[in-house]
Amino acid sequence: MAGATSAAHVLALLDEDEDSLKLYALQQLDRSGHDFWFQISSSIAAIEALYEDEDFSHRELAALVASKVFYHLGDLDDALTYALGAGSLFDVNSSAEYVQTILARCIDTYVEQRVKEAEGGGASLDGRLVAIVERLFERCYSDGQYEQAVGIALESRRLDQLERAITSSPDAVRTLKYALEVSQKLVVSRDFRNQVLRLVVRLYEGVAAPDYAAICRCLMFLDDPEEVAAILFRLLGGSDDDALLAYQIAFDLVDAELQAFMGKVNARLDQLAPSPAPAAAPAPAAGEAAAPPAAAEGGDQMEMDQAAAAAAPAAEEDASPFAKRLSRFKSVMSGAVPIELERQFLARHNHADLQILKNIRATVEPRNSVCHSATVFANSLMHCGTTVDAFLRENLDWLKKATNWAKFSATAGLGVIHRGNVGKSRAIMAPYLPSAPGGSTPSPYSEGGALYALGLIHTSHGADVREFLLGSLRGTQHEVTQHGACLGLGIAALGTEDEEAFEDVKNVLYMDNAVAGEAAGLSLGLLFAGSGTDKAAELLAYAHETQHEKIIRGVAVGLALVQYGREEAAEGMIEQMTRELDPILRYGGMFVTGLAYCGTSNNAAIQKLLHFAVSDVSNDVRRAAVLNLGFLLASTPEQCPKIVSLLAESYNPHVRYGAAMAVGIACAGTGMREAMALLEPLVKDSVDFVQQGALIALALVLVEQPESKAKTLRGHIDRLYGNKGAEIMTRMGAIMAAGILDAGGCNATLGLRSRSGHFRRTAVIGLALFTQYWYWYPLSYCISLAVQPTALIGVDASLQAPKHFQVVSNCKPSQFAYAPPVKVDDKKDKAKLPTAVLSTTVRAKARAAKKAKDAAAGDGGGGAAAAAATPPEAMDTDKPAGGEAAAAAAAADGEKKEGGEAEEGGEKKKEEKAAPEPASFTVDNPARVAPGQRKYISFPPGQRFQPIRPAPSGFVLLRDSQPDGGEVEYLFQEDKPAAAAAPAAAAAAAEGAAAPAAAAGAGDEPPPPEPFEYVPS
Amino acid sequence: MKDAAPAEEQQKPAVEPIKPPAVLRSNVRLITNAVAEKETRTLFGRVLRQTAAVRRQLTAQELQAFLASALPPASAAAQQLQEAVKQVGHGAADLDMCPARAAPPPANALPEVEMYAHLLTLMFLLDHKQYELAQQVAGAAVDRLSTFNRRTLDVIAARICSYLSLAHERAGSLPAIRSRLLALHRTAVLRHDDVGAETLLNLLLRNYLADSLYDQAERLRAKAQRPETSRSMQQACRYLHYLGRIRAVQLEYSEAKDCLQQAVRKAPTSAVGFRVAVAKWLVLVRLLLGEVPDRTEFTAPDTAAPLAPYFDLTQAVRGGDLSAFSAVAAAHEAVFRADRTHNLVVRLRHNVIRAGLRRISLAYFRISLADVAAKLGLASVTDTESIVAKAIRDGGIEGVIDHEAGTLEAARPADIYATDEPQAAFHARIAFCMDVHNEAVKAMRYGAGGGAVKEFEDATALREKMEEELQAALEEDEDF
Repeated sequence: MAGATSAAHVLALLDEDEDSLKLYALQQLDRSGHDFWFQISSSIAAIEALYEDEDFSHRELAALVASKVFYHLGDLDDALTYALGAGSLFDVNSSAEYVQTILARCIDTYVEQRVKEAEGGGASLDGRLVAIVERLFERCYSDGQYEQAVGIALESRRLDQLERAITSSPDAVRTLKYALEVSQKLVVSRDFRNQVLRLVVRLYEGVAAPDYAAICRCLMFLDDPEEVAAILFRLLGGSDDDALLAYQIAFDLVDAELQAFMGKVNARLDQLAPSPAPAAAPAPAAGEAAAPPAAAEGGDQMEMDQAAAAAAPAAEEDASPFAKRLSRFKSVMSGAVPIELERQFLARHNHADLQILKNIRATVEPRNSVCHSATVFANSLMHCGTTVDAFLRENLDWLKKATNWAKFSATAGLGVIHRGNVGKSRAIMAPYLPSAPGGSTPSPYSEGGALYALGLIHTSHGADVREFLLGSLRGTQHEVTQHGACLGLGIAALGTEDEEAFEDVKNVLYMDNAVAGEAAGLSLGLLFAGSGTDKAAELLAYAHETQHEKIIRGVAVGLALVQYGREEAAEGMIEQMTRELDPILRYGGMFVTGLAYCGTSNNAAIQKLLHFAVSDVSNDVRRAAVLNLGFLLASTPEQCPKIVSLLAESYNPHVRYGAAMAVGIACAGTGMREAMALLEPLVKDSVDFVQQGALIALALVLVEQPESKAKTLRGHIDRLYGNKGAEIMTRMGAIMAAGILDAGGCNATLGLRSRSGHFRRTAVIGLALFTQYWYWYPLSYCISLAVQPTALIGVDASLQAPKHFQVVSNCKPSQFAYAPPVKVDDKKDKAKLPTAVLSTTVRAKARAAKKAKDAAAGDGGGGAAAAAATPPEAMDTDKPAGGEAAAAAAAADGEKKEGGEAEEGGEKKKEEKAAPEPASFTVDNPARVAPGQRKYISFPPGQRFQPIRPAPSGFVLLRDSQPDGGEVEYLFQEDKPAAAAAPAAAAAAAEGAAAPAAAAGAGDEPPPPEPFEYVPS
Repeated sequence: MKDAAPAEEQQKPAVEPIKPPAVLRSNVRLITNAVAEKETRTLFGRVLRQTAAVRRQLTAQELQAFLASALPPASAAAQQLQEAVKQVGHGAADLDMCPARAAPPPANALPEVEMYAHLLTLMFLLDHKQYELAQQVAGAAVDRLSTFNRRTLDVIAARICSYLSLAHERAGSLPAIRSRLLALHRTAVLRHDDVGAETLLNLLLRNYLADSLYDQAERLRAKAQRPETSRSMQQACRYLHYLGRIRAVQLEYSEAKDCLQQAVRKAPTSAVGFRVAVAKWLVLVRLLLGEVPDRTEFTAPDTAAPLAPYFDLTQAVRGGDLSAFSAVAAAHEAVFRADRTHNLVVRLRHNVIRAGLRRISLAYFRISLADVAAKLGLASVTDTESIVAKAIRDGGIEGVIDHEAGTLEAARPADIYATDEPQAAFHARIAFCMDVHNEAVKAMRYGAGGGAVKEFEDATALREKMEEELQAALEEDEDF
């Protein structure tokens, strides 16, 4: 380095009068500022003065030097101010660290100011700042960094630049996808997010091959049924592939469970259908030029399709194929097809272990009504959606011990078991329903429970039962029946904003009856879920008037449901409710906060909840505040254990309970290690209800997780449920946990989020209602709203599931296998066990081989249904070798017992018992894909049926690559009658629950296990 | 082959000295783990400690073998490092002599591992006094570092920077890299690289002080952003040392004394060189403050020899014998100049005179100024009168000058326990203890998850893991 070790001599020049000397000094300092900034900084005032001096000719240079010095001093704001003052001397394109740092600061400042401006802060922007940001955008475009431009545009709320970034990028689709993803994740403001979505939709339609699924998803967020209907209509009128896509979109929309939205789309389609149906047919025939404006938007799409399938012109398509498509489409939209397919899946794959329930029943003393009803709950949830009510039928006498509200719950449990069995719902519940023809006069408790059950069966698809429920509600004056009818109506017509129902339910509320009023409050919330209706103010006013705490609580939680997902729009309600003097209303306020900002991780909301969690005087409010953190953090489950970890060590047991539940909710179905680490110590808490919360939360976290993780929880449950020394609350928690852990016959998880990643309103609301079990046990059944089958079901154009469709799971079969069945408790049996198992396996094998030959024999309700029909005495003796029927029931179980010793669990790999475990295996349609297994799923090429969109779970539409490759075999076809019979049997059983004399008549032949469960390779 | 012989003895790794190749391999594994776990603190510390343990034993062959196994052979870094090591190892045949190890070289190395290889090579070159080569390698390494922005690199990067500085210092070209260090420091601060920023600030201070640019150093120190808490004890010690030196030169002795004392106390006992360097400055600062260091401070076996000149100096000052002082100063001038303490030694002359005066005032009730001049070895009586008058005014001695008679009349020595003196001394000790306590509290760190118990469990687990790793490395070694 040459010479200078100090800048003092140059600095001295600054004090000269001569401008040229000052200029020389500044030039020197600009060059050597990097080495002597710490010296210059003591003369910074002189340089600043030069910049301020209007007469000085090189003010910009002075600003640049000052900027650099401030940059070195770490004062970036001042550095930015002076850099802006430096004008063109500040070289935006330089890659120097100084420039890059200042630019980053520049963007931060700009974003901050833009956000402030958008939120009404009114701070005026510095024009120079804007100019630099514009230059940055230009640079992004010229460098091809479109994603960066999208990011800056979104952050700074520049829709114009966002549009430019997308349109000017060479791969518009990719950029669009990126913009969509980022806007969902990172944009905090709901208004702006909606604006972005609108823009994205508009731009999506402009690209050559629009991703209609994504567009429809956006439009769903925007609540724009007209546009969705238009798109779907266009697709339905297009080629076969377009129709497939339309079906796929329909499945996606159904998955989101927005009933009102679906209704509007359907109605809109009906409007479109009659008139343009003829128009759509001639349009392609006449060619693109003559296409009516309605079809012009989708013109590109049609053109391509026509090029591809010129030989199969749509011109020949008369109205009837279109009508067929439309009716098929509607069968999806109405939920009939997806619900039926999922129900079939759950029924056939049911792996709920009856032995667990038997053990629980045996150890729980029947007088203990809390544990008794918890056991009924566990049974219901374990068989949620499977239509298997064997346990209830076997234990009618035991079940009869349920009286009053326990009877209400038990009846509601039937609804959970038959969830989705929409066609037969009335028949199933007939024995209990108020006006049951020929039935004995049931008690109001079972009446009310039956109405509630009806709602649970028709969750979110309640068009069929709405009238009936309304009629029941009007036709009764009994508070318990009203209670059940209100809940049932609310759940069945969730979010429909049904005015007529609203009036009726409101009448019930205003009768000021505590029991009915509570349900009415909740029901109103359910009816208007997520609408943010202004009727809320009316309800809140009533909550102030009434003396009944139950009603206040019902209304408060109902208000929370009304504000679901409203984000900023709910702020007014949040403010009002969290300032209430009544702790119950504050309690509701916590739920309003949690649900309004559900899954947004909104910082302000988190802070508010944390504040209440530590400062409120009411334990209930504190508990609710912590618990609702779980809803807020549901989109970032990995954050939740960290945030509540300190609260989990609080001195206040209510806060600890809340922390446990928060983790349970946020991490539901993830099996996250951190969550388990936080919950494990709470299971051994000194307070009973904290133990209960920890057990339930652990079960929520571990639903359908690999057995290696769930083992410890099962250990806790086994230790606790029968432990006479444990508190009742703890035992209740253990029993409920057992039910949740094996929800839906080990084939379902708690899906707060749909397959495409957004939150399912029904599920979140179900879970929120579930947490109300603290006050009202029957509400625990609402957790069934969140239960989501983990199936991958391939469906072809006829909306049936082809039999010959397989997916490959690139993991060891044992990794996600079902839990091995619980060993029989009786110790004396242990010696006999090996021989018994062997004989069972031999018979099971023989049976399976026989059945494999007979391909058409796959019918009936699955292995578990077989178990259901097993003669009770065989099961009661607990000897698997007891009889032929028992062998059939235990076929899968016995095999797994043996497999369990060799660390093999899945029935899919029967042939390879001795061989080392393969690294992958194939699964037949419909495939059980546990949440953790999704990343291993792949679709083998070369099959006749290929997915149009390879998604690892949910419904996948299949394209038939060999349309004339012969007759397609479909699943679930032959057993239609059997399926019809099952509900009948179930109905009989249900009747039996009230009148045991009818129980013997469950004469359904036990169906064998279907062949499609075994891989024939 | 040479590993085959001690194969049996390796059963007892605790007693046996560990072979460098095994340690290096275990270090690479550690680094990989640290990167995977995004752990930036403890694991890298262990890597550097283990490296230091085997640094002296490392041979050119072993280093070459390590480079071949850790780096992809085609990369520019590998070729440069191999070339550099080869030049030291005297002869190109070395590489061929050690046969290609069983493990094939990786397709691409982690940046951390690559930098670790650079670091090892740098150490090796510096140990073999190849400063030119070391400068080249360090320069290339720093250039390469600037292409990454990874926090897991911080510790190794800081170490490489300090070796870059050391290589230039040994070669006497420190001013040449000043600008570069400033740039690196700025980058480290911007990236919140605390370790790097701390290290580079120290290097810069050292750089300026080497050229006696005390004013520059002080300005930089005052203006540069420093992390709130120091992340490395060594760097904190160095910083205190440099700060103490700056303060001493700026005549702020009591502040300098505080800094230097802290530096000595915080320095690890094994850092003898550093302790000696600080002790020299501390002795001078204390003498300038009028204190006399304890004799034991000079007699510790490992520091006695280098501190001998300062011991003589202390004795001369304590005795107040100006002629003796001049003799000592002249005798050891070369040493003082080398230590850059000469200007402080010059300043001590006044203290010698004052100490002499003090002795005289205690010993004599009345003494003529001429006698004082003679005893102190001063030339003129008039000067002596002025010096004595100044000493009385400053409170160095108590007494009055009888100008008529030309005598100094000392006051009766007062009972020191009747004054505030003991209280002040006591206060000083308490303040010091409080300071130490506060520093200790500040230095404590807590893990993210919980309290001390967890940390403790972690430490046990960590030790077990470390032993396992070492065992694994040794077993691997046997396979070759």
